[in-house]
Amino acid sequence: MNGIVKRFPGVVANDHVDFELRAGEVHGLLGENGAGKTTLMNVLYGIHRPDEGEIYIRGEKVSIGSPREAINLGIGMVHQHFKLVEPHTVLENILLGLKEPAFILNLKHAADKVLEISKRYELPIDPRARIWQLSMGERQRVEILKALYRGANILVLDEPTSVLTPPETKELFRFIAQMASEGRSVVFITHKLDEVVAASDRVTVLRAGRNVDTLPRDQLEKTKLASMMVGREVLFTLRKSPVVAGEPVLELNQVTVMGDKGFPAVKNLTLTIRKGEILGVAGIAGNGQRELTEAITGMRPILSGQVRLSGKEIDRESISRRIEEGIAYVPEDRVGVAAPQGLTVAQDLVLRRYREKPFSNGVFLNQREIEGNAETLVREFKIMVSGKDATARTLSGGNLQKLILARELSGKPKLIIAVYPTRGLDVGATEYVRSLLLRQREAGTALLMVSEDLDEILSLSDTIAVMYGGEVVGTFPTSEANVEEIGLMMGGSLRKN
Amino acid sequence: MPVFSLVLGFLSAAPLFLAVGVNPILAYRQVLGVFLNVDGLTESFTRGIPLLLASVGLCLPFKMNFWNIGAEGQLFMGAFGATAMVFLLPDSSAFVLLGSMIIAGFIFGGLFGLIPGYLKARLETNEVLTTLMLNFVAILWVDYLVYGPWRDPEGFGFPLTPMFPPNARLPWIPGTRIHTGLIVGLVCAGLVYVFLARTKWGYELKVTGESRLAAKYAGIDYLKLTLLVMFISGGLAGLAGMGLVSGIVLRLRHGISPGYGFSAIIIAWLARLNPLAVVPVSILFGGLLVAGDALQIGLGLAFATTSVFQALILLFVVGAEVLTRYKVALTWE
Repeated sequence: MNGIVKRFPGVVANDHVDFELRAGEVHGLLGENGAGKTTLMNVLYGIHRPDEGEIYIRGEKVSIGSPREAINLGIGMVHQHFKLVEPHTVLENILLGLKEPAFILNLKHAADKVLEISKRYELPIDPRARIWQLSMGERQRVEILKALYRGANILVLDEPTSVLTPPETKELFRFIAQMASEGRSVVFITHKLDEVVAASDRVTVLRAGRNVDTLPRDQLEKTKLASMMVGREVLFTLRKSPVVAGEPVLELNQVTVMGDKGFPAVKNLTLTIRKGEILGVAGIAGNGQRELTEAITGMRPILSGQVRLSGKEIDRESISRRIEEGIAYVPEDRVGVAAPQGLTVAQDLVLRRYREKPFSNGVFLNQREIEGNAETLVREFKIMVSGKDATARTLSGGNLQKLILARELSGKPKLIIAVYPTRGLDVGATEYVRSLLLRQREAGTALLMVSEDLDEILSLSDTIAVMYGGEVVGTFPTSEANVEEIGLMMGGSLRKN
Repeated sequence: MPVFSLVLGFLSAAPLFLAVGVNPILAYRQVLGVFLNVDGLTESFTRGIPLLLASVGLCLPFKMNFWNIGAEGQLFMGAFGATAMVFLLPDSSAFVLLGSMIIAGFIFGGLFGLIPGYLKARLETNEVLTTLMLNFVAILWVDYLVYGPWRDPEGFGFPLTPMFPPNARLPWIPGTRIHTGLIVGLVCAGLVYVFLARTKWGYELKVTGESRLAAKYAGIDYLKLTLLVMFISGGLAGLAGMGLVSGIVLRLRHGISPGYGFSAIIIAWLARLNPLAVVPVSILFGGLLVAGDALQIGLGLAFATTSVFQALILLFVVGAEVLTRYKVALTWE
């Protein structure tokens, strides 16, 4: 790909980007959120048409107008958000859009072919299973099989590890290596440095839509790649000043919360967070962390027990009352919950605060105050926006999270509930978000942080609580934390209360 | 673009006119004539008033993805409420009687709108089904009244109430023969516009339309908002019904509305849920209805034929509405 230029309203996503992929190579495509990695690959896959530039496949100049043309050229792509029809079976999803079954579906024949591919690459799957029954890792496998079924020689994986558990990631890397050993090529889009170093033969780094450099395997070095990506030195360790925890802000007493499936997801849980304390909740996703945070913020009713904020019982109060009482909430789902995509940046920046003065007088909204608020926060939190009336949809992942934090912190909260605050963010944005949370701690706010990233929990928290099966199976100060023990607790084989 | 789609719609109807033995040019002249003389325009405005009110009301629930298909029923309940006032206060002054008819029309339509709103917010019932089915309840309730207890004893057995006394009739706008319901409609369009664009409820509607979960996160009370919106939406449809009995038909009868509540859905979307844009669209739509009458009277066409003609025009306008969102690109391969 030579000199690819792709413009979107207000931004140049790719500015004369060159990219070269060799046969039999795993090529890491590294960059921050919004650096243009996905756009570049979408151009290759025919989703976007480049405004300028040329694409050559095996020496031949091509013009790729649609994903179908890309597939015919042997290009396959697994998107970050899977494109699968959930009520349908694996096999139906793989066949969907193919011209091959002209009229009558020969399912048996197709199933055999799928199983053959799945066996050859050790990607076990049940072709008759329905997508909604599958884990995220299995769904990704379906996407990969779909591309292989269509005969992909060039496979593009967009942030493939963001949905995988560590063992699944290992399995994926094995598969990638096998692909490459057969002379096929894999493009591996990521912003995770460890992975790119572990899996790639060469790495191309993009920053702000431009090439920074392409490095061979023997020159891959984490700190160097990080500074290439961000454009400056990155600190991998945060400086944490000592803060003496004050009086209790949040107290949970014997709290039980019902989960979506009709069983208690949080059982008799008791915990306390004090002023200036960060409580890190560790645990494998699905062990009651989400239900716990929803119970505190009011998104989910509690079955029994008490929730107190600064000594006052709040467990029967509405969500809006709890916002007024000073509970800030950074939820897991940014796009669907925390920052509605069709609203403008200014509107999203008052989402949980629009009832307050001066934004509202009880009936009418004060447009000038709302816009003024947006200007202040955009400047203060360095949110990159293309204009005053830009919708949240135009923001990259990192900027969206900055927007959410800017709003939640601007209300001067007593308590911040942050769920996966840095998930999916690049190095620069992660560093920034973490420093914001630490600054809040210094200002005397109590924080509850849920994270899957143990390093994050260890480097930010004052106290760690490990959740398993809806219960806290261990609480201890971070200074006494032992990574092995935490791992055992997360797996449910150790209890320490 | 709208002009272009209208022309296409007209041309596509040519075979239809030829098939029933009418010169298409004559038919076109008849249709355009509606918009070129005072009587035709007056009639277009008159037919546009109930469309305007009901459609402005629909902009609100549609903004929050609440699919109110029940404007027709809410309109009938408004007509019922207004007529009930005539029976209750037959001898009051015009000011009192008309005032109470307006209020009753709004409240009856609004209360009828609360039912599906409550059911959706509390029990997650599908509002498309409940609003649609409640239409039949309202229409048949009015039928029961005009065939039964409220039937005019001197009406030769026709399903209608006695003629309203002069005090219960909406006056004409001075200098025209359009009833004052038009002014009510314009004021409501303005108020709803301000409601959507400037108030906190308008903001809440927008957030809820984006995502119900996001609305919950923002602390928006879905039940309260739904009830408020459906009361106003049903109330405005009810006002449309009040305008029909008090401004045009001057009594309650079987089939008081030929489906204004359903046409209002199309109008709301054509106007992209902008209450100000609803005003011209409603009046043009009214004109299209009048054109159908003109074709029947002037050229002796059957009702079915003119309905097909109207449908063709709408098909092209709605189709063009969708197509304008695409970019036209010519490529050479």
